[in-house]
Amino acid sequence: MKVSMFITCISDAVYPKVGEAMARLLARYGVQLEFPEVQTCCGQPAYNSGYWNEARQAALTILEAFEDSDFVIAPSGSCTGMLHHYPKLFQDDPINLAKAQNLQRKSYEFSQFMVQVLGVTDLGAVFPHKVTYHPSCHGTRILGIRDEPMQLMQNVKAMELVPLPFAEDCCGFGGTFAVKMSDISGAMVTEKSDHVLESEAEVLTGLDMGCLMNIAGNLRYRHKPVRVMHLAELLYEGVSGQ
Amino acid sequence: MTEETHIKWLERMEQDSRTKQQAFMNDIARRLKRPRTTEAPTHPYRGAPDYWQEFQWSSVERIDQFTANFQSAGGHVFRMADMDEAKAFIVNKANEMLARYILRQNVSELASLRLEEELADTRVSVWNTNLQEAWKARAAEADIGIVIADYAVAYTGSITVLSSADKGRSVSLLPTALIAIIPLERLKTRLGEVLIDFDEAGQSGLPAGIHFISGPSRSADIENDLTIGVHGPGIVFALLVG
Amino acid sequence: MSQNAAHTKSESNNVKPASVKERADLALNNDFLRKAVRFTTERLRDGKQKAANDHGHWEEWRERGRQIRLHTIAHLDYYLNLFADNARANGTHIHFAATGEEAVKIALEIAQRKQAASVVKSKSMVTEELHLNTALESIDVETIETDLGEYIIQLAGETPSHIIIPAIHKNRYQIAELLSKEAGEELLPETTILAGFVRRKLREKFLEADIGMTGCNFAIAETGSMVLFENEGNARMVTTLPKTQITLMGMERIIPSWSDLEVMATLLPRSATGQKLTVYMSGISGPRRKDDGDGPEEQHIIILDNGRSEQLGDPEFQELLNCIRCGACLNACPVYRHIGGHAYGGTYSGPIGAVLTPALNKNVDQWDDIAGASSLCGACYEACPVKIPLHDMLIYLRRRKVERGYGDKVEGLGMKGFGAIMAKSQRFSNVMKVGRIGQKLLVRDGGIPSKLGPLKGWNNYRIAPKLADESFRESWKGLQEELDKNSREMDPVIQKRMEDLLAKRKLEELEGGAGHD
Repeated sequence: MKVSMFITCISDAVYPKVGEAMARLLARYGVQLEFPEVQTCCGQPAYNSGYWNEARQAALTILEAFEDSDFVIAPSGSCTGMLHHYPKLFQDDPINLAKAQNLQRKSYEFSQFMVQVLGVTDLGAVFPHKVTYHPSCHGTRILGIRDEPMQLMQNVKAMELVPLPFAEDCCGFGGTFAVKMSDISGAMVTEKSDHVLESEAEVLTGLDMGCLMNIAGNLRYRHKPVRVMHLAELLYEGVSGQ
Repeated sequence: MTEETHIKWLERMEQDSRTKQQAFMNDIARRLKRPRTTEAPTHPYRGAPDYWQEFQWSSVERIDQFTANFQSAGGHVFRMADMDEAKAFIVNKANEMLARYILRQNVSELASLRLEEELADTRVSVWNTNLQEAWKARAAEADIGIVIADYAVAYTGSITVLSSADKGRSVSLLPTALIAIIPLERLKTRLGEVLIDFDEAGQSGLPAGIHFISGPSRSADIENDLTIGVHGPGIVFALLVG
Repeated sequence: MSQNAAHTKSESNNVKPASVKERADLALNNDFLRKAVRFTTERLRDGKQKAANDHGHWEEWRERGRQIRLHTIAHLDYYLNLFADNARANGTHIHFAATGEEAVKIALEIAQRKQAASVVKSKSMVTEELHLNTALESIDVETIETDLGEYIIQLAGETPSHIIIPAIHKNRYQIAELLSKEAGEELLPETTILAGFVRRKLREKFLEADIGMTGCNFAIAETGSMVLFENEGNARMVTTLPKTQITLMGMERIIPSWSDLEVMATLLPRSATGQKLTVYMSGISGPRRKDDGDGPEEQHIIILDNGRSEQLGDPEFQELLNCIRCGACLNACPVYRHIGGHAYGGTYSGPIGAVLTPALNKNVDQWDDIAGASSLCGACYEACPVKIPLHDMLIYLRRRKVERGYGDKVEGLGMKGFGAIMAKSQRFSNVMKVGRIGQKLLVRDGGIPSKLGPLKGWNNYRIAPKLADESFRESWKGLQEELDKNSREMDPVIQKRMEDLLAKRKLEELEGGAGHD
């Protein structure tokens, strides 16, 4: 069985530790990941902005990268969600359409893979901190990821999971939206950080580095010492005692 | 303006409208890329979901639920054994509110209450009984309007009144307070039980006005602050009789 | 003609900035507005959530609502035709208007024929779309909005900022000032006093008006009836008291039957305000009957296209016609919450407005940046009682703008670069390496605070992270070797689960299924 890592461009370039944590966690269950080096970005920035030709260029590299994989795992609900849009990009291209549908079927976001595929909800992690969780929009609304992260977090020992007020509200990232409509996005992320601070959590976790980068950047700008980490990082830290 | 009479103008407009109607429908069919649909299409989703159509409350539940719903919307509900009790209630209320003028529908159930005999200081008028009278203005002056509900719905806490020559729409709309008598056998569980009758009556069987009333007139348009009695009656009594 | 007059008038009264971004900036700097909008939308959103939970089976009802709307629109020629024929049989005068101008012309002609001095109106988004009030006033017909919120903003010379709560942006001091001017005496800024004044004032107007004008929530094809939902009673006044009634309806407002109305009546009030039913739901079937003592003697319904039919047969946008105008998407939208309705710059605001405004206008070159004002979070879709995929439609609008050559030129170049880089992993690798060198001068304490150039928008509110010293792909070889050395056997239970999933998927592939989600 070929299980492949789709690192996503943001984790590749900025947050490689997320990919590392994911690989190490999966290795504990005997899942040997492979990493197709031809992969780049899912193409979402271009797709969302309406540049579908450019999105297709990125999508073709992804289709090629994972053509032979049996399972594809990404540390992002948003980028995995983008793979679900691929069929729309190749509506008039039957060969790539079939590949796109195939990729959609076999792609999983990290927490989905742990719970739905491996059937693992208790990783035996210990994480003695007060944690809050931001459910990213695309993971929740496109992929329907709601229970999986909760199951994974509820089984972490010594961790206090506190609710994030208005958790389901968007953090204002939205890719290029954060730059094009920067003041609206800024107001949204400020509100999101306010809610994080209101929760009094020491740690903010989630499943998407785009959103987490956005919130972390704002918290840091406001000199608020909340630690921000991907759930895979949190779990890995919890099992390895690092 | 030409000398064209209003009737002639309306006829000309109708000719024009019928021509345009055909153009509209042909355009719709063209855009939908198919020939005109002239036979009734099969509508597999007509009405509420199946489970709902089977839903029924007992008589006691209907009374309880109607009461709870109507009250939570700001209305008042009283349970009466018979029309004599209803009469006593109305007389009391009229005295208590110092009503100078009452307007009621011209229906036999209300006539048999003989309210005018009990209310010496209150004028009681009967809708549309004198063709010379400006009934809308009378209704606007009335302190209390009295109607018999044609239906009531427990699930939504609604009273239904149908218009006719004897049952003016203004009676339930213009007075300061409204008293609606609901014979218990007209109280249904669901909205759909009432609506189906209008489907069955069909185009030629409907009155000009069908009105569902679920409490006093209200608005939250000023700073979300709930105001009662903005345009319609601000006080509404529902008397469940039987 | 009247349309143009309307435009010039409103623009000279109220000069609006040209772009969504500029209008949003104004809104973002208005603390009262932001607080008021936030408070109201949260109240409505919570109300909706509670009402949906209390009712239960919400997803089933949403799906039913969607199916009824899909079915009606798919056979719109049949149902609209049936509605028109039945309404005529009821005695209604039916008119068809392909454009806004035509609809305005018909409405003005009726007013002139009736020698109307005044029109009382209940809330209608279609008449806002047509700027009908200004058109009526241009022929000296006094036009009075009678919904409390609409009346307030009419006195202020503004447009609605929310589809359900039009005066969401006004506080009671501002409202007291407006109403005091109208009353000719000072009114205290207390809700009951203000509403009491409006009740008395408008009561006179209702009784003396020549024409009552309404919108239409639903039109029932099988009986030619039109249905109005409201809480104040003003729509009932408008359809009961004046001698002539004019209703403006979008051609897509149709549902087949009263039975279908139960589904809409279940979805609409709950989604809009969290009510089980609005205080009034009225079904009007034609003018007063011969012996009736009230109701209009003459009733007109003007059925409007004005760009709606453009969506028919367009697989990406046809579902837009399913909208029941409940406003739930506004209340769910985090962007709307921060900028309010006026920033959208059109009649319809919020997510539905961001899609509907451009979709109704086929001239792509006239679209502004409205479809860009969304983070595509999908809260609108989740809130929509008839499941319109607004977040997808926003992307289709952006794509159409790009395809037809009206995209932002700088962004276009950027995206060309993006496509080229992401087409080859080697190029992507190189870009990361170059970036790492480039960022050296900017990194402070592990982050990039600079607000220079393209970093400005982001870093006005954040500190950007730096690129990692070693990208994942660079570190992979080492990591893989380490993991391989310590590799474990897979638990047979997990192994079996994965194999089963794989087998199941292969089977689905043969059957053409869509996948696990």
